[in-house]
Amino acid sequence: MTATPIQPGIAPAQPTPRRAGRRGRRSDGRAASGFLAPGGLLLGLFVVGPFIAAIVLSLTNWRLVSPLPTQWVGLENYRAIIADSQFWIAIRNNLTFAVLVVPLQTILALAMAVLVNRPVRGRVVIRTIYFLPVVTVMTAAAVIWRLLLTPDGAVNSVLGTITFGALEPNWLTSTTAAMPAVVLVSIWQGAGFQMVILLAALQGVPSDLYEAASIDGATRWQTFRHITVPGIRNALIFVVTVTTILAFRLYDQVVVLPTPAGGPRDATRTMMLEMVQTGFGRQLIGRASAIAVLFFVIVLALTALQRALFRESP
Amino acid sequence: MKTTTRIGALMTAIAITAAGCGSDSAPSAEEPAADPTPTTEQAGPDTTDDDESVAAEDVTADGSTTGDAAACDGEIDEPVTVTAWNHAGQGNEQDLMTEQIADFNAGPGAELGVTVAVEFLPDGTYVETVQSAAATGDLPDALDFDGPFLYNYAWADNLIPIDSCVPDDVERNLLPSILAQGTYDGELYSVGTFESGLGIYASRSVLEENDIRIPTSPRDAWSAQEFDEILRTLQAAGFEHPLDIKWYYGGGATAEWYTYGFSPVIQSAGADLIDRSDYRSADGIVNSPEAVAALELFQQWAEDGLIDLESTDDLPFQEGTVPLSWVGHWLYGPYEEALGDDLVVVPLPDFGEGSVTGQGSWNWGISSTAEEPDAVWAFYEFLLSDEQQLRWSSTIGAPPATQSAAASSELFGPGGDLEIYIDQLSTSSVARPQTPAYPAITESFGAAFANILLGADVQSELDRVADEIEQDLVANDFYPATN
Repeated sequence: MTATPIQPGIAPAQPTPRRAGRRGRRSDGRAASGFLAPGGLLLGLFVVGPFIAAIVLSLTNWRLVSPLPTQWVGLENYRAIIADSQFWIAIRNNLTFAVLVVPLQTILALAMAVLVNRPVRGRVVIRTIYFLPVVTVMTAAAVIWRLLLTPDGAVNSVLGTITFGALEPNWLTSTTAAMPAVVLVSIWQGAGFQMVILLAALQGVPSDLYEAASIDGATRWQTFRHITVPGIRNALIFVVTVTTILAFRLYDQVVVLPTPAGGPRDATRTMMLEMVQTGFGRQLIGRASAIAVLFFVIVLALTALQRALFRESP
Repeated sequence: MKTTTRIGALMTAIAITAAGCGSDSAPSAEEPAADPTPTTEQAGPDTTDDDESVAAEDVTADGSTTGDAAACDGEIDEPVTVTAWNHAGQGNEQDLMTEQIADFNAGPGAELGVTVAVEFLPDGTYVETVQSAAATGDLPDALDFDGPFLYNYAWADNLIPIDSCVPDDVERNLLPSILAQGTYDGELYSVGTFESGLGIYASRSVLEENDIRIPTSPRDAWSAQEFDEILRTLQAAGFEHPLDIKWYYGGGATAEWYTYGFSPVIQSAGADLIDRSDYRSADGIVNSPEAVAALELFQQWAEDGLIDLESTDDLPFQEGTVPLSWVGHWLYGPYEEALGDDLVVVPLPDFGEGSVTGQGSWNWGISSTAEEPDAVWAFYEFLLSDEQQLRWSSTIGAPPATQSAAASSELFGPGGDLEIYIDQLSTSSVARPQTPAYPAITESFGAAFANILLGADVQSELDRVADEIEQDLVANDFYPATN
């Protein structure tokens, strides 16, 4: 995925007789579909299938537990959602979250990756520690964070000591601090994952480029700016895209952290939460399906936009 | 080496992303809260009634099971195994239920040829599990469910009426509140095997030191003004936030605590969650001036720091830093252990029309797919026997469901520490509204209550609740009778 010039290990293909080549490619194709089959099957069964079902359901008024007959309602669910102020609050919160998390988390992950890429002792241990939050179940972590973020919790005692009591926000119940709390916890959890991707990319940047740069007398910043960043460009694009997608499916944190779920006065209500509450709380599966479809369209549009803005280098 | 690291990382990335995307379309189990959405009227042509969508099939298949659902005939024809679902419960509830079922299977069950095979399902996702199973017709013969959802299941014909199963003497022995909770549309659908109730737990010595009157029955409960002064007195006496309201219960999965625990505030003021005469409107009821005034007072207490909005467990009351705790019967055990004889339970304050408490808890019904309701009922009757009732109430601390058990209980009987709960249940408790709209009501009111405590405008929050309840009613054609 990185822009590596010519890989020393890959020699130019040997000229082979045409027929053998084609047969080779055909068996390659068979092998490829063999490898694809399990994943494709599961994706079809658990992602594509349910999604098509969601599109169909979104045009009905199916209720979860109800003796009333289900009816086609056309685009009524979509009309109702678009007219619902809470849905727009949810979208706004998702966008706010994405705008905060994507740059902060990417920069932090990049900084961490650069740090653990240096030849220091025990770097494997450090890498593992940075990666630990990723393998922690978010819900479990959020429960712990909930304790840390109480008004008298550990976070506030540290903050209070540093700022002499000037900054001790009520993280979980204040309309202004609830979203930052969710952002904080999300970055803590997500940065390690991106660090690993960026680290892999960093290791793929050819060292002769660095050698050339140092011979040319480039400063460290210049090296970073003109060799490291272009070298890991594709990985960065990947990370930004994935983080944006993940930012939109924000759910666990907003359920567990603030009071009530959805946040003080809807400060952390998100589309996912809206969908689950509509479908399971209010039992309107039809409308929840419509939210799912809208969610898909929004994420697809944003991803397409990003693809258009940042072209990956070949 | 470098290449492999890179590929490995990529594969991980793709795997995690794929897994992530997958979970997008599969909502995990969750909760109610508030949100106003315009109504789903039948915008589509009404003629497309039974469409060919997956949903329609399920619903129709479900509805059609009602016609041939069995009723009790008083006989168990052959040995049967009753499948049962039970919520895992808190503390030792699951252990006790396991023992009770083993005792039933070894005793009366063995005589009747009935074996109960129970499956415990986690609390947090119980409602969603049951709802999904109900939607696909996969319910077990016997199941328990929390009060809020009973009317939904009854309306959807997932449960059968059990009037034919309950012998008269057993029915007469049930607390009126149990019958009230189990009744929908004139028929009995479920029985609770224990009751519930609210009270303010207090430290007797702290109240006495501060010359605070200790009420002994709901008739002489503190008035709201009196309670206001009490809170201020205690704050002045050095308790930073004198009233614990279990604020932390509401943070995670459910808003039901806020509705169960604090709808008595507006009910005591003369308002209610919905118009109970026909269950077709909440406007002018839940957002009436009385409800607004009562909750504005509550909001004032929160604003003045009289309410503890910081605790994340029960320790402050147990350790004596918070002298009053507004909570249900379930904390009697831990509180009694911490405070001993100093613990006193008083009724909730009177906001104008008399002290009110909630009632109702988990209750058992018989699903419409059960083939031998008599066998299921035999199990329920066992749970309602005095012996099992006392065993449950003394271990769990919940008020018994039958009058005979209540009378002979050490805790809940005459002179017992918790006699007040039985007193309240027979005089001043209010059942949850008996409508399938209750899940929407609790979701909406619970969130509004939280917002109000956090400073939101009371009138506009309650207007929103009324509006959301209205929307739910309209979206379900006002829950017409389906039989």
